[in-house]
Amino acid sequence: MAMESDYVEAEMVDAVEFLDLADRYEVSGMPHTTINSGAGNIIGAVPEEYLVAEIRRVVEVE
Amino acid sequence: MQKFIEEEMARQVQEVFKDLSKPVQIAYFGSETGCQYCPETRQLLEEVSVLSDKLSLVVYDLENDAVQASLYHIDKIPGCMLLRVIDGQLIDRGIRFAGIPSGHEFTSLINDIVLVSNGDSALDKTTREFLKTLQSPLLLQVFTTPT
Repeated sequence: MAMESDYVEAEMVDAVEFLDLADRYEVSGMPHTTINSGAGNIIGAVPEEYLVAEIRRVVEVE
Repeated sequence: MQKFIEEEMARQVQEVFKDLSKPVQIAYFGSETGCQYCPETRQLLEEVSVLSDKLSLVVYDLENDAVQASLYHIDKIPGCMLLRVIDGQLIDRGIRFAGIPSGHEFTSLINDIVLVSNGDSALDKTTREFLKTLQSPLLLQVFTTPT
């Protein structure tokens, strides 16, 4: 997704090394994707359209 | 230090890297002090970068190269990002790794290098069209465990 828009930045974070950050987003199930620092969350590996739907929700609220 | 990428794995990755189109620069950020996984991460990236002549590795220090880190939005170490190289220009495709990319993340790293090199996200057309409509920064952070 980062490749399709200059606005998108994707960071793969090791939850063990960055435990504080993982705790802040209440990461439990993996993989856990947070959108805009907690404005949206997706737990688990989900189909592409689920992730897009959650991003849409975040973008519309902002 | 023992090698992270064993011979058989190195062969497999080399096979995958045969399809690389544009060169990719891996920008690594670490620190000499107080960073438990920095030496391992740097070594892992060094081992990856020699598996294709399309790959290069640049080593930065989070403190000494603070300007570069800020330019690249790097605030965690060990960290790295992937840049597509076109006609000597570095193009940030927005892909970063925080922490050592081993275990599952090793696969993600290899796949992302291929994606960045070939410039094809492989996403659905509707997803691509939606992403083109974005007007403000969007940060996606994917938390995983290495094993």
